[in-house]
Amino acid sequence: MNLALTELRRQPSRFAVATVVLTFLSLLLLLLGGLLDGLYLGSTGAIRAQRADVIAYSESARDSFLRSRVTADMRETVEGVDGVTEVGGLGFTLLGATVPGEADLADVAVAGYELAPSGVPDPPPAGRAWADDTLQDAGVSIGDTLLVGPAATPIVVDGWVEDTNYLQQGALWVTLGTWREVQNANRPDAFVADGVVQVLIVRGDGDLAAAVDEATGSTSSLTRDQAVNALPGVKAQSSTFNVIIYSTLAVVLAVVGLFFSLLTLERTGLYGVLKAIGASTRRLFAGVVLQAVAVAVLAFAIGGFLAWLADRALPGEVPLQLTVGRYVFTFVALIVAAVLGSAISLRRVTRIDPASAIGSAA
Amino acid sequence: MFLALTEMRRAKVRFGLLAGAVGLLVLLILFQQALLTGLVNQFIGALKNQSADVLVYNAQARKNLEGSIILDQQATAIAAVDGVAVAAPLGEGTFTVVAGDEEQDAVLFGYVLGGPGEPTTLIEGRLPEGAREAVASSRNADDGFDIGDTVLIVANPGGTETVFTVVGLAEEINYSVAPTLFVDFAGYETARRAVNPDATLVLPSVIAVRVTDGADPAEVAAAITAGVDGTEALTRQQAVDGSPGVASVRQSFSLILLLFYLVVPLVTGLFFLIITFQKAGALTLLRAIGSPAGPLVRSLLIQVVIVVLSGAALATVLFWIATLFGGGSLGITVEPVPVVATTLAVLVLALLTSLAAVRRVLRIDPIAATTGGGVQV
Repeated sequence: MNLALTELRRQPSRFAVATVVLTFLSLLLLLLGGLLDGLYLGSTGAIRAQRADVIAYSESARDSFLRSRVTADMRETVEGVDGVTEVGGLGFTLLGATVPGEADLADVAVAGYELAPSGVPDPPPAGRAWADDTLQDAGVSIGDTLLVGPAATPIVVDGWVEDTNYLQQGALWVTLGTWREVQNANRPDAFVADGVVQVLIVRGDGDLAAAVDEATGSTSSLTRDQAVNALPGVKAQSSTFNVIIYSTLAVVLAVVGLFFSLLTLERTGLYGVLKAIGASTRRLFAGVVLQAVAVAVLAFAIGGFLAWLADRALPGEVPLQLTVGRYVFTFVALIVAAVLGSAISLRRVTRIDPASAIGSAA
Repeated sequence: MFLALTEMRRAKVRFGLLAGAVGLLVLLILFQQALLTGLVNQFIGALKNQSADVLVYNAQARKNLEGSIILDQQATAIAAVDGVAVAAPLGEGTFTVVAGDEEQDAVLFGYVLGGPGEPTTLIEGRLPEGAREAVASSRNADDGFDIGDTVLIVANPGGTETVFTVVGLAEEINYSVAPTLFVDFAGYETARRAVNPDATLVLPSVIAVRVTDGADPAEVAAAITAGVDGTEALTRQQAVDGSPGVASVRQSFSLILLLFYLVVPLVTGLFFLIITFQKAGALTLLRAIGSPAGPLVRSLLIQVVIVVLSGAALATVLFWIATLFGGGSLGITVEPVPVVATTLAVLVLALLTSLAAVRRVLRIDPIAATTGGGVQV
């Protein structure tokens, strides 16, 4: 064990190139993961925050919020379904908003709601909003009057909420009445009549989705997690990025395997001597694994720092979001890949014959 | 040559592992490059391949077609700007449709027949001549959007079902990665009212402008933005480049690709450096018995070329297999030019990084064979 660490300390240059390669790979893994998280979190916050057992869409909307229309009659039917305890309307409008004192517009998602999502207070008075705190990056402050959409509908920001964005746009949580006013003034082609909402947030017990759909005959109900996955692009993004992330991990494994099997080959003679003086295969192999882990830890530390720098340097529109969970996942994945990669050398270490120390090998 | 190949034959696992790692990395580069091109084309193909020189958005829409509407007075003012030959409405919306007996999403573009905004990449059939005819994206012909197929817009309660017949197919006209139809603006209006019978008005998303002969679209666009309140006029290319997501997707992918391009040569360089260290004794002996440095360096470089080319060949085969299983939906195909260009770029970079190993071979002193020394660091 000491021997492995001493070698690392005394001959760091021998491990430098492997460390550099693994640093790049860990940086890549963090950036890929950070982009995936940024795209996912920024698109789905408003739905993840819903305290809903099911979300009911109109059947023809194919699980799209923006295309769904739930009428007052449908809502009445849902409210009468056995097991349903609470029903609230929800609707979104995606628009640009003029921020006082700012030249650039802010992308906002005006969200009309009745049942408060987690982390969002009860609906504010008409014409006022709880704003997602990411809108601070666009220059929004509490008390500002945002002029929303082409019709410049005024909305006053009353306070901040966290992690509630919708499709990468900053959420403004308003009453259903204010949402209808914004929607009808700015999107006359998507007019919503009184009582109409995009979807219903349904709370209650039992198999609500089936019961609600059966009762109305014109809704398609999803659980919250299903609704998150039904958002445009969410599933495709996750699967594409995960393929790239896991392929990159396979490369890490190959690189570590290659490096340490070559290193082991180089030390065959030395290992023969060590075995001849009593060192066990387990001890020698533990040394190889220890070195692989040490290289991976160092590479992760440098790669993690570079990813943090990249996060600060990249422009705001790049949806990179580095979470603690992503750092932990990448660290664990790197260590596992390093251990597995170094295990490729195990066969070679096991096969070294101590007798080879006597003669030319040493 | 002989030495290089013999060594590789005798250490198949070692070189195979390296070629595998290089292959995997090249595969990731090819996959991401194709994904980027495919995604961008499928996101904004409809904007890229329509005939308007300039598209005028509502300034509040931030170049987002879905979020833009142009008011009547703005449309009138746009038509009056110098350099504008024709200004016509262009509407865009995503609808639930039934095509090929299956309910699916489709994007409708409504343009004034014969005016700016019509698709420019027709490969089969003809352009629409009536309010219920459509040109569809050729990529989705097999999904119920082939010539002669009918596409039903699913109406909401109170709305009237609307049916379009596909009369032509055009290449690369997808929008938001969905099947796309170009129809007459009147047909688009009907479809809008079918899904929202409460609609008080159906406004165009943007105004499609054809500029007068000899006028510069960029100058006309600037004149419209300056002259018509609340609008942002963009040339076709500006509209493509400025589409939401396209710039950030390009930036993110470029960064990741850059890192992959750095990793491949580093892995290759590292491998050959270590190999050279390991062969120090043998190389010194070869030098001592009279072998010049040239053949040894050539042998090393031949190995680099073989490893990179084998990796690239492996990557191309894997990439081709990947496109057979679902790549088509994202518009990913194996194109010879990117494959060859990527292989050459990786090869050049790998040869450059293996110069470290070459340097060590050149520094071998034959006399060290008698003193026990090897490669000098």
